[in-house]
Amino acid sequence: MAMAALRREGRRFAPMISPNPINSLRSSLAPSEEQAFIGVRSISTQIVRNRMKSVKNIQKITKAMKMVAASKLRAIQVRAENSRGLWQPFTALLGDTPSVDVKKNVIVTISSDKGLCGGINSTSVKTSRALFKLNSGPDKENRYVVLGEKAKAQLIRDSRKDIEITLTELQKNPLNYTQVSVLADEILKNVEYDALRIVFNKFGSVVSFMPTTATILSPEIVEKEAEAGGKIGDLDSYEIEGGETKSEILQNLTEFQFSCVMFNAVLENACSEQGARMSAMDSSSRNAGDMLDRLTLTYNRTRQASITTELIEIISGASALEG
Amino acid sequence: MASNAAVPFWRAAGMTYITYSNICANTVRNCLKEPYISEAVAREKVHFSVAKWVDGKPQKPIVRSDDPEE
Repeated sequence: MAMAALRREGRRFAPMISPNPINSLRSSLAPSEEQAFIGVRSISTQIVRNRMKSVKNIQKITKAMKMVAASKLRAIQVRAENSRGLWQPFTALLGDTPSVDVKKNVIVTISSDKGLCGGINSTSVKTSRALFKLNSGPDKENRYVVLGEKAKAQLIRDSRKDIEITLTELQKNPLNYTQVSVLADEILKNVEYDALRIVFNKFGSVVSFMPTTATILSPEIVEKEAEAGGKIGDLDSYEIEGGETKSEILQNLTEFQFSCVMFNAVLENACSEQGARMSAMDSSSRNAGDMLDRLTLTYNRTRQASITTELIEIISGASALEG
Repeated sequence: MASNAAVPFWRAAGMTYITYSNICANTVRNCLKEPYISEAVAREKVHFSVAKWVDGKPQKPIVRSDDPEE
């Protein structure tokens, strides 16, 4: 209050101090010069005040986003952890063979539609690119299937020729198996593959996620691998019920395996997304708090300085008159 | 066995195992009583949009959705 009153005083004094008679002559020539003279007596804190207000608003927003992410995370984490039971039997039966060397690779990159969630989208894109390079060769064919806007935006830049399908708007409704299976069906119908490599972020904890790949082989490749021995070689020791042949069973199995693994992958990735968003928003609200502290300090110091200057001016003016 | 005869039929109709199992799951879901049925139907909603790419250019995206169009 006192400061505002002083400032008003100062403004009233200003025309008296400035060489007015000369200025009135020159005012038509240089009006801006006069205005600059008035403001120069006290430093304007307006800009800092506006900055503080905007930082405070940003902090409010990031805090709210963190809360939202935390509550979403809790709901989705249970589902993601439960869905791990879906692929574990498949891995026990068919094994996971990320090193398999086949001609047609389809890399399924899973990312989120929304940003502001740290590095999870770039990690899955980086992993996909690495897989692409690893599996490329003279007679090999690699294609991308991209889930989510963010990975699409990143892959468009350098690999737009290799994108086969993009799928977006997954998370409009809460994720469920029916949706993911329809989506998996859509992918299976539209690509030819020997191996599907799904890239996603496996949820570890709120602050940790692991870029992971899951490999799904086509039925023919599974049979070939089974003949070659190894872990899949045990497949022959299973008895097949009913009148179906082994290849029929294998085809059904791979399709079902793909949709189950996709379901888990999409859930894990959504879970990591919320976790990453939570920690990103937490650190950005902390940063906003730090910034606000620094700004407040600067603001108060400037204000104090201008008050002191004004007081000195008044007192010394008064003492000059008395003396 | 009924399943013996059924398998070639849905495969011949151009379905994958996923489509087949989804239809089966839906049939089972429809056997539920209220209030469980509306709960189950509301839970299993499909919504996503697909865009195929030809020569590095996206084609028009197709939206697959159970929701009524806005």
